[in-house]
Parts: sequence; C-alpha cells; structure tokens
Amino acid sequence: MEKKPLYNIFELLILMTKYIKLSLKSILEYKFDRTFITIAIFCREMISVVVMYLILARFVHIKGWEYDEMFFLYSFLFLSYSIFVLFFAGMRDFASMIYSGEFDRYLTRPLGLMFQIIVSRIDLSAGLGHGIVGIILFTKTAFSVGIIWSPKNIIYYIVILISGAIIQASIFMFASCFSFWTIKTENLRNMLFFNARRFSGYPISFYPGIIQKLLMFVIPFAFVNYFPSQFFLNKAEMNSFWSGYLYLSPAVAAIMFVLVYAFWKQGVKRYSSTGTSM
Amino acid sequence: MPLIEVNNLVKDYKLNVRKKGLLGSIQGLIVPEYKMKRAVDNISFSIEKGEMVGFIGPNGAGKSTTVKMLTGILVPTSGSISIGGLSPSRDRKRNAMRLGVVFGQRSQLWWDLPVVDTFELLRYVYKIPEKTFKSNMALFNELLEINAFMSQPVRQLSLGQRMRADIAAALLHDPEIIFFDEPTIGLDVIAKEKVREFIRFINKEKGTTMLFTTHDMQDIEKTCQRMIIIDQGTTIYDGTVQHIKDSFGTTRTLVVDFSENVGKIEIPGVEVVEEKDRKKWLRFQKEQVPVSGLIYELTQKYGIVDLTVQEPEIEGIIREIYQGGIKFDESVCRVC
Repeated sequence: MEKKPLYNIFELLILMTKYIKLSLKSILEYKFDRTFITIAIFCREMISVVVMYLILARFVHIKGWEYDEMFFLYSFLFLSYSIFVLFFAGMRDFASMIYSGEFDRYLTRPLGLMFQIIVSRIDLSAGLGHGIVGIILFTKTAFSVGIIWSPKNIIYYIVILISGAIIQASIFMFASCFSFWTIKTENLRNMLFFNARRFSGYPISFYPGIIQKLLMFVIPFAFVNYFPSQFFLNKAEMNSFWSGYLYLSPAVAAIMFVLVYAFWKQGVKRYSSTGTSM
Repeated sequence: MPLIEVNNLVKDYKLNVRKKGLLGSIQGLIVPEYKMKRAVDNISFSIEKGEMVGFIGPNGAGKSTTVKMLTGILVPTSGSISIGGLSPSRDRKRNAMRLGVVFGQRSQLWWDLPVVDTFELLRYVYKIPEKTFKSNMALFNELLEINAFMSQPVRQLSLGQRMRADIAAALLHDPEIIFFDEPTIGLDVIAKEKVREFIRFINKEKGTTMLFTTHDMQDIEKTCQRMIIIDQGTTIYDGTVQHIKDSFGTTRTLVVDFSENVGKIEIPGVEVVEEKDRKKWLRFQKEQVPVSGLIYELTQKYGIVDLTVQEPEIEGIIREIYQGGIKFDESVCRVC
C-alpha cells in the first residue's frame, strides 16, 4: 500500500490560511465585544506596567538594574505571550475542545490533530492586548539601553520571541493534556503560570536560589526573558550563571515541546481508547 | 468482498468509580478505583457497497460506541474493523478521506459563520475538484433547498435548516460511506421526510453505502432494507425490516363499530382486547383466522357501522424486543 502523505506542503499552507481566515471572520462577528475585551486586556496589563513604573521611579536603579532595562526585560513577556496566543491558542484551549466534542470531529477529518487544533483557534483580543503593551515597552526601551540592532541581534531577538512563545504554549498544553484523563487543571495551571510570569517581571537575580531554580528548570520563564535580556544587556551579575544559558532558549523550547508532544500523544491514545463521555 | 467488515468487535471502558461524599472523592483522587464496562461485546457484521443499514437499539446499547469505532474516534479493545481494506484507527486520516459523518446532535458547521464558509473550507480539506463541488452544490440545492440560507450564520438557522446544511456538508466530497448518527432527531414531520427522501436519492444515484443509528423506526422503515438491532453490546438481530415484520407482525386487530350493544362475542381464535361504548378491538393471528371469514361472520350476526384492520407497527415489535417479549432464535437471525 502506498504511504504518500495526503497533502503536500502547498496544500497544507492553503488550508492553514483558510482556517485562519475563518477564525478571524468568526472573531469579527462580535466586533464590539472583541474590541472591548482587547481594551480590557490592554488596560489590565498596562496598569501593572504603570504600577511597576511608579514604584521603580522612586529609585534610580535596583541591584544595578535601571528601570529602562527592567522594562526591556518585561517587554519579552508581553511580546512572546502575544505570539503564543495568536498562533498557538489552540494548544491552550484544547481542553474545551475535548469537553465540547469538537475533538471528536477533528478525529473524523483527514487532517492531523495538532494541525487542526492549532489552526482552529486564534486569540486576537489577547494577542493584540498583550502585543500593544509589548510594543510600547519595546519601543520605549530598546533604543535607550545601549543595544546595537545589528542583523545578528535582530535574528537572535526574533528566535527568542518564538522560543518564548513555544515555551509558554508547551506549559499550557501540558496542563490541557490532563483533560484526556478527565482531570481539570485550569486553576492550578493559571496559578502556576501567572505567578511564575509575575516573578519574571523582575530579574531572577532578585530572588532567592530556590525561586531562581524554579524559574529556570520547572516553569522556565528565565529562558523567556531573563537570559535573552542578558544577551543584550550584559550585566555583571550574569557571571553567577553559566554563559551558555544565553543561547539555550530555543533548545529549552524544543525539548519542552517534544516532551509535551509525547505526553499529548499518550493522551490521544488514552482518549481514543476510552472517550470522555464514559 | 464486503466494503465494511467487522469481526468480533469488543470495546471495554474503564469507569472511574466515584464514591459518595467529600471523603469519598478525596479517596478517589488518591486511590482511584476502576470498574470495567463492556460497551460492545463481540459484534460482527459485514456491509456490502451501496447497502443502507439501520442500527437500532435502546439507549446505551452500544450503537454510538460502534459508530465511533467505525469512524476512527475510538480504538477497539479487540476484534477488527476493515473499511475497504483500511483500519479506521491505524489509517485514520486515509479512512476519514472516504467517510462522511453526520452527528445529529452536533453540527460540524462553523457556528458564527455563514454556511457557505464551512463548505468552502471543506472543499480544501477534502480536496474536492471544482467541477464536483459545483455539481454537488447544485444537486444539494435542488433537493434540500440550501441556497435559501447559504449566506446566513449557522447560529441563526432553524434546526431543520441546520440539519440539511450539515448533511450536505458531509456529502460534499462524495464519500463512499456515510455514517448518520440520529440524523432526524428533533425535526418536524416534513423536515424528517425531506431528509429521508434525500438520503434515499443519494443512495440510489451515487451508490453511497450508508449506516444509520436512530431511535425513529420510521427512519429505518422508509430508508433501510436491512437493520441491525443491538442490545447490551451484542447483535440480537441482523436482517431485513420486512423479515421482522413477517415473523412477528402476524397478529391483526379488527376494530369494529357495532350499531348496537352486542354483549359477549365468542369466536375461536379471536380475542377481544379492548371495548369502548359499542366499539370492540378483536385480535387474531392472520394465519389462523382468515380476515374475510371473520368479517363475513360478524356482518351476518350483527349490524356494523364501521370496520378497520390494523397491522402491528414496527415500533410495537421493536418495543417488545427491547422489553424482552420477543426472543430471537437461531432461525430468525441471519448472523447472531
């Protein structure tokens, strides 16, 4: 029997754009609502930035960090989160697809499951809300902290943002996978993810060793923003870490994705042997 | 070779046993307890190309589980399924390319978007050639009148419209096999009839193999030649609808409206099952008591205003089967 793939790359790309177009069109059906959510998210995130600014404005610097540098560090969180929810929102939301039966429908389609999950969801509101905050922070700080935007640096920056998005997507997907075992993890996930993210708003050197280790090896936000910032800022405190960490983000993203993907495969297998309705 | 071959299909579910109370749920979290439930127990059947087969059975009989295994959603615990030489679980995508699936209770259309958008997407998903797409759209419009609501968002459609659109969507790519899971659920009489008519037409014109699950016996009677009755995970009947009627539908009821009160009627082989005013319901076996003779006898003795002969409905027969009133023996079952 021939084992030729059902679709070539070209056909998959067309399908991807078709799916994305429909997702966007669905979102635009509720323009008013979505605009409001976007503004709400923007305000919520912006307030946290302003509060941080007001507090930091009373100091010239903390532990050798000037506040432009702190906001540059912060901007990674927003931009990578924005990329994550724009392109991988399905990895975050697929628990609901399982509960609603949408996942059963995906199983009856000739397309790959991961493909369908990723292309069926775009969170435009959160993407824009976080994205705009990120862009504001980036444009305010990227040119005042002494970074030369050489082609090499620009490429590093883009790779880092994508890696950051994949790291965060993997964390969410890991949590969602539990729904294959009909275990709801939403609250636990939100608690771990958003608190880790809050910690990461500041350089990890501010924290005691145990929290540093957590942010490096358990919920590795350090690779989303701290080490990438260090690549650009070259602070002296980096001496206390291995210099290789500066380049490790893509590897961390790849390893996390591979591990979570294996877990997901197990979940799918378990799902198709039980179904969730029973 | 049959198009669909199912051999000794078994499906076990592992059920999480939940205990009562808070303490119980904590205990269940730490030491989960499982119970096995056999949803499908050794089912075998084969379906030829172009057949229309109805799957019926009471709720929880294992119909949906069987359909889920055939469509590749669930993997069998044991036994084998071959659909045109492919295994739905191992060759999920390739198998899916040739299937159409209609879930009556769940739409496959994009809820917030006009119907036409989903159709356009499916055109690319199933790689439907332009020409096929156009001719199918024209055909479906002719039979289901879908153009009238093609540009309306799905959430605004009536259930009947949505179902027609859903069925059309499942058939766009000319699938070889279609699974209908309760395709007429919740529809009014006219809409049901329209759906059945369409299904019959497609089967005849395109030779599509079709499998239904339904609770509506009319669906089966009006569309299928063959039906498979499943109960408690096993096949209890596999054969023609007519055969079931012939074997179990031998009783007739004669409803007689007499012109006066006639008191007790005693005719051998005839039982009075109901009486109301001057009306009587007389039940008899059609082989034992020829109906013409019975009517002649009655008209000779009494004055009669009105007469009707009732055949038992398939519904009634099925009801009796579910309730265990009718037992099948080897002679009745084609495959047991």
